[in-house]
Amino acid sequence: MWTIALKTLIADRGKLATALVGVVFSIVLVNVQGGLFLGFIKKAGLLADCGEADIWVGHKHMTTIDFPQDIPRRWVHRIRSLPGVKRAEPYIIGQTNMSLPSGGFELVVVVGVDRESLLGNAWNVVQGRPDAILRPDGVIIDQCDLEKLEQPKMGEVREVGGRRARIVAFSHGIKSFLVTPYVFTTHERAAAYVQKDPSFCSYYLVQLEPGASPDEVCASIRQRVPQLDAFPRHVYSRISANYWLTRSGLGISFGAATLIGLFVGLVIVAQTLYSLVLDRLAEFGTLKAIGATESQVYRILFLQATIMALVGSLIGLALAAAIQHFFSTPVALIFVPAWLSLGSCGLVLVICLIASLLPYLRIRKIDPVMVLQS
Amino acid sequence: MIAHLKPSSNDPLSVAVRVEAVEKAYRRGRTSTPVLNGVDLTVAAGECVFLAGPSGSGKTTLLSIVGCILTADRGRVQILGEDVLSLDAARRVRMRRDRIGFVFQRFHLIRGLTALENVAVPLRLRGTSSQAASRRARELLESVGLGDQGAAHPQNLSAGQCQRVALARALANDPELILADEPTASLDAANGPEVMKLLRRLTTNQGRTAIVVTHDQRIFPFADRVLWLENGRVVETEQLASPSPAGVGAQRVES
Repeated sequence: MWTIALKTLIADRGKLATALVGVVFSIVLVNVQGGLFLGFIKKAGLLADCGEADIWVGHKHMTTIDFPQDIPRRWVHRIRSLPGVKRAEPYIIGQTNMSLPSGGFELVVVVGVDRESLLGNAWNVVQGRPDAILRPDGVIIDQCDLEKLEQPKMGEVREVGGRRARIVAFSHGIKSFLVTPYVFTTHERAAAYVQKDPSFCSYYLVQLEPGASPDEVCASIRQRVPQLDAFPRHVYSRISANYWLTRSGLGISFGAATLIGLFVGLVIVAQTLYSLVLDRLAEFGTLKAIGATESQVYRILFLQATIMALVGSLIGLALAAAIQHFFSTPVALIFVPAWLSLGSCGLVLVICLIASLLPYLRIRKIDPVMVLQS
Repeated sequence: MIAHLKPSSNDPLSVAVRVEAVEKAYRRGRTSTPVLNGVDLTVAAGECVFLAGPSGSGKTTLLSIVGCILTADRGRVQILGEDVLSLDAARRVRMRRDRIGFVFQRFHLIRGLTALENVAVPLRLRGTSSQAASRRARELLESVGLGDQGAAHPQNLSAGQCQRVALARALANDPELILADEPTASLDAANGPEVMKLLRRLTTNQGRTAIVVTHDQRIFPFADRVLWLENGRVVETEQLASPSPAGVGAQRVES
């Protein structure tokens, strides 16, 4: 069956190529579109995913990283006293404006970190040093925001929240979900920039002792300070992503586009398989006449659909990987996890098998007597 | 090796095909067009019978009923000892696959498969291993004089060669009954008799039964008997030779 399926498929190269285009199109679309979506939504949890904190502690109703509620800074001592906690530091996130050379302003997200531990500070610093924020008025901005901030230079002085800020280092790839530039500085300076009472903060970032369970420590924190909530960093990252997914309808729009692409792929594959069968009605009739059972005939179609799905998936994945390699940037991040690649291949395989049912229904109707009457 | 099936007069299977009072009509909507009107046909094992007659006389329909492709509306059809009207669809498929070989007017070889692979198709459908099927297909291609064309694709073979491949395919499962539908209609004057000679040599001369539908009067000498059908009935029987393999017809073909 395998030989019959493969060789009859290859014999009609034009149609095979058309079907493969359909499969490749679906795979590339799902991976690139899905990768863009995941890359985009991943930014909502970027500070949690890439920072050094194991647990994020915030207001009882903490929903997303960039929109925190104020909490008293002094409660950090209660958390520090809990078993399993190695370090807990206040962390501040707020929005304000940065002045631009052209006379305008740009909305920025100011991130203030503890000056002793620098926990939650900018990472991937490519120019200058992370601890340069300890210098007077020192701030770190990201290279991805250079254009938006009108090309600030190292050492240049700007106003943030109406106060002096000197650019002392550049990071690379810290791009916020809201496309608002991040400005990293010390906690006290950040409070001043966003005009927040310095006795308040947005979060406590917690690092755990080796072997401590994040879930158990989170439960202890909730018990000790009922006004607070606490989540392991990956959990809070997911909560932040879900916040934007559910509030913005992003998931629906990306998902709809991906589904449309899949549907188009399905139609191409089904149509191609169907026309392959129409071209070969006499051959299928011959097979039935000489003793092929219904299941053997379907197996041929099943194998052909599987071959198309596998070959198309491999080509599609290679193409998607190339697109990811050449076009993924911190601004338009294409994040393609293994489950997305494997899932898309599985989905396309299922689609191809469903698509093979349509020509099978046509073949079922073939009366082998047609071979004798043709 | 091609098996030699020796019919015996004492063997109940010495009658390979028995068709009695068979009626068949094609229905389209409320319209019913009778094609066979009480056909009787008996073919002895090892005999080569031609069905001739004008278009629409029911030759192909009768062949399809004998080949378990169509079912009769009425009558009795016994093929190789089996009452085929009582067989369910799956057993009719097995009957076609295991005991009947088909040769079609337009060869109906599978595109994309080589001559060898085409011959091996019925064996693969039966579950024979790839190696055994290839070995048997090679033997059969040699027996039809195409031993060196196993790797050729149908589009690279002449019509005569394609029909020989189709004949080899029909013999793949060593069937007892060969049904051929206009096997020479797509062949020229030289290739037609050649294919018939081959068909006689590989079928009835080896104890197989053959029923051939044809318009081609040039090949009538290859038959043991020619039955004329008109309006769905056998109207005339012409005995050309005593039944093969010992028959005159067979000897004449071989000479």
